Amino acid sequence: MAIVEMDTMVRAGLDRAVELMALAAHNSFRFNDRNTVKIISVGQEEMEQLAEYCFSLGDMSPLAARDGRHLVQLMKEPCALLVMGDKRRSDFNYNCGACGFRTCKELNTAEEMESLTANGPSCLFKNINLGIAANAAASAAHRLGLHCRVFSTLAFAAMAMEVITDVDVCVSVSVSAARKNPYFDRHEFWTKDYWDEIFTKEFPTYNRGFIGAVED
Amino acid sequence: MERSIKQYETDRKEAVRIAARLMLASGTTTPRVGGVGECTIHIVDDECDIEDICQKMEDMADIKKSWAFFRRDAAMVRDADAVLIGPSLRSLTDPADINCNMCGKLVCEYLKDEEKLPADPEVAFTGPLCTFRAANIAYAVDGMVSQARNLGIDYGVYWSVGAAALRMGLLPRATGFALAVAISITEKSPFRDIPLKYHEINQRTMNDRMINRLWPQFRSIYS
Repeated sequence: MAIVEMDTMVRAGLDRAVELMALAAHNSFRFNDRNTVKIISVGQEEMEQLAEYCFSLGDMSPLAARDGRHLVQLMKEPCALLVMGDKRRSDFNYNCGACGFRTCKELNTAEEMESLTANGPSCLFKNINLGIAANAAASAAHRLGLHCRVFSTLAFAAMAMEVITDVDVCVSVSVSAARKNPYFDRHEFWTKDYWDEIFTKEFPTYNRGFIGAVED
Repeated sequence: MERSIKQYETDRKEAVRIAARLMLASGTTTPRVGGVGECTIHIVDDECDIEDICQKMEDMADIKKSWAFFRRDAAMVRDADAVLIGPSLRSLTDPADINCNMCGKLVCEYLKDEEKLPADPEVAFTGPLCTFRAANIAYAVDGMVSQARNLGIDYGVYWSVGAAALRMGLLPRATGFALAVAISITEKSPFRDIPLKYHEINQRTMNDRMINRLWPQFRSIYS
């Protein structure tokens, strides 16, 4: 009987799981049965690009930089990334006003604002359909026992790097088969000194007895 | 009514109460962008309260043509055993400050300065809302749906219910956007296999016409 090593099985299982997540996202509930969400799975090489891009944003977006650094760590163990996106224009004709325009027609004819993160203005129900698909993928990952986190930063990077094309808004679902959950309580990224400094800066009143005290 | 049938009906109602609360739990623990809480979930399981919402939906259906389907939604929701409404409590007043441009205003400061649509009858949600924040409601809705599927319960997702509940003042004051999940624990889902003109021709109106209207005449003629 052939022996299959654990690493091989974990890798194969992860690949299969990503397919099942995409399937769950594809079949999730949609308003008006509009199944227009585009879903891709991102390979190792592209993930490196995304990590570099996020990290390069540095001070401009500390959150993206942190997620870029995190992605580098993540790639040391089996992981995968699903990116999903949709177009921004409304094909619902709900005329609900949530986007700030009275009618869908006004939204669809409004001037497009392009940026590195998303192209707006976008229909809220398009975003809701996208979010439901993302959550369905995350829910499938949870049931399959994978570590999972939904990232906007990595999706924005995927759009900026044209890893995913022909979409205006996107979101990503990252999964990992690491030995411990790599997504939460990422204390290893912060030294105690750095953390103390940031905390004091962000929450000055925490250590200050009197809020009217003069700052240094 | 037979005692055993009555017991079944009581237990079914109890199952709805338990299921709605489990769905609330699942919807509450779904992801939130930036890990910041923004969404409460409100259970409406009293049939009179559901009827009030349905009547408001029907009123709204008359306001404009593109909302005509609210009437059909109301016919379905009337048959629901409970409705869970998830409002977005930050999208109206508290943009996410990440300058994502999903709203098309490039940066959040511009969105804050933007004048909101007036609360006219023709406006369901007074946008522009923070789209990034409002996406949390998608996660909450899918959390509820996912639990409903686990429990084997029939569900339907309606924005018309959210809009009506918002207009009725049932939701917290800061609500900018709301969606609802209706559930039913019955042998046939009231949310599927919906014929055309369902708002006019459904089990309720058929009952009205066939029995309530004809039976008294039948009885008086053939007695």
